[in-house]
Amino acid sequence: MSGAESLAPGATLNPGVSVLRKFLPLLILAALSLLSMLLAVAIGSVPIPIMDVLAVVQGEGTPLHQTLIIELRAPRALAAFAVGGLLAVAGALMQILLRNPLADPYVLGVSGGAAVGALGAMLWGMGAAVISGSAFAGALLSTFLVFGLAHGSGSWTASRLLLTGVVVASGWGAVITLMLATGPAEKLPGMLYWLMGDLTYARSPWPAVIALVLICLLVVPLGRSLNVLARGPLQAAALGVSVKPLEWSIYVVASLLTAMAVTTAGSIGFVGLVVPHMLRLLLGNDQRLILPACALGGGILLTLADTLARIMIAPEQLPVGVITALLGVPTFLYLLYRSR
Amino acid sequence: MRAAQHRHPTLSRLLPALAAVVMGLCAGPLLAKEVCVTDDADREVCLAQPAQRVLPLSPGATELAFSAGAGDQVIAGVSYSDYPPEARELPSVGSHTRLDMEKLMSMEPDLLIVWATGNPREQTDRLEELGLTLYFTEATNFEQIASNIERLSLLTGTHEAGHKEAKRFRDGIESIRQQYQDADPVPLFYQVWDEPLMTINQHHFIHEVVNLCRGDNVFADLSRRVPRIGKESVLEANPEAIVAGGMGEENRQWLEDWKGFSNLTAVQQGNLFFVPPSIIQRPTTRLLAGAENLCEHLETARERR
Repeated sequence: MSGAESLAPGATLNPGVSVLRKFLPLLILAALSLLSMLLAVAIGSVPIPIMDVLAVVQGEGTPLHQTLIIELRAPRALAAFAVGGLLAVAGALMQILLRNPLADPYVLGVSGGAAVGALGAMLWGMGAAVISGSAFAGALLSTFLVFGLAHGSGSWTASRLLLTGVVVASGWGAVITLMLATGPAEKLPGMLYWLMGDLTYARSPWPAVIALVLICLLVVPLGRSLNVLARGPLQAAALGVSVKPLEWSIYVVASLLTAMAVTTAGSIGFVGLVVPHMLRLLLGNDQRLILPACALGGGILLTLADTLARIMIAPEQLPVGVITALLGVPTFLYLLYRSR
Repeated sequence: MRAAQHRHPTLSRLLPALAAVVMGLCAGPLLAKEVCVTDDADREVCLAQPAQRVLPLSPGATELAFSAGAGDQVIAGVSYSDYPPEARELPSVGSHTRLDMEKLMSMEPDLLIVWATGNPREQTDRLEELGLTLYFTEATNFEQIASNIERLSLLTGTHEAGHKEAKRFRDGIESIRQQYQDADPVPLFYQVWDEPLMTINQHHFIHEVVNLCRGDNVFADLSRRVPRIGKESVLEANPEAIVAGGMGEENRQWLEDWKGFSNLTAVQQGNLFFVPPSIIQRPTTRLLAGAENLCEHLETARERR
């Protein structure tokens, strides 16, 4: 079913039915989200019978099962869901802002700055809390660097922002390579895992979860303006949208979301690029629908991917980035093929 | 940070003494059963009773646990925990760079032997939060290997076996030292890896083995412990012998590659020596065999002069 066709006739129907039809995809995604969380909590490298999982959920069960589910699986599943959601929303926002289908949350160098911060902390032998803090600081630094440089004197355009961001990202890339080349051998595995994206680094899921909830509440009222902006800045201006402030807020918000995501779990690729496209192919390009759908869809993809990463070659652990791409590429190509 | 502490030579020599003092304090009549030792991260590790479910988190730590006489109490290992042969039969809890936390918790260990610079800090921190007892090892010289075995054997209640093994190791090293202490130094390049080319500086335990055999590590003064160098540096240093492990226990390809440089003294003299990586690249008692092997090679080099 093509999203645009399914949405258009709704306008002539009874408004109640129309709203329901319009938000039915969100309900389905919400149900799938719950299902993916349940799977993530129920499945792991240590098999726990489903009855025992339910017992733990009700506050019973053996101490070992409680540790496995409450201390290990549940926080990690929540973190995976929140990070996936944040990355997908940030990706969708960047694609609107830059009017470029290849844009993803990392294109403007946020993850590069975060990586330099995190890897630097690892080289100094710091613990997880410092690594997270340093990654967040790096992401903010990169955001403001790009903002300041693209803002500079002269006219400002989306392409100028894109160019500034891409060049800053390349700069960070060089610094990362330098760190990897000169870092001590025993620190390399940890650094590479961070760069590939790995939820082992997720300490507490709550900052990311709260950020995800806030952004969902924030984008709903902005949805109409974003819809207009997606058609181009001139049309948006003609229709009464104040384009500049809106674009800058999108940039700052998307960067903050990305910073929150990479701070939690390293630079997990692919989710931010492909999930928004996937959902547009399915649901059409109404931002009021797409952005919350991204929050759920990205979360589902990353939660499932992390569950697989934990068990596929257990007890060895895979970085989650491998699985997101392995799951996402065929799904996306299939949707793209069907949409012709 | 932890690693920095152990590179300090005086501190590492003090550790066994410290451990003895701490044990002395804890062995009072009131705490008759509790055992405490100081680990290589300078933390005090105490157990109310000897550990019965020991889980070493690196291949080297596995060997140390078996050397301490606690083989029967070791319940699992990690990838490449392959020595002694019994260790291969153990279940695995992941690789030392990424542990499967669930699998690990489900083994319900009462003592984890952590590799301070090899296991990821974010995971060991989490394990500590979850209430497990962690003992950090970072053996960078012969004495630390012996003292780790002794300290571990106290925690596992096998101190007789542990002290015996530590003594065997110390005595073995000492007898090699006496045998070669007057030998002529042999300038030597130890190759850890080929692409990128890597060697060791004076703070690595392999340097200590080289010293023991009166080899003269030509890259001892480089600043990083496992420096990456260029072929040019090797040509410039022109060592009398090149020693390499290789990928696997038999693969001599790295040494073959040096034969293209016929100006090298090591190549002209035929002093390209293979030492199996398993007996020289892990800080365990097998270093004794590695040292014997290397020393014999360097004797050969001296005879060829």
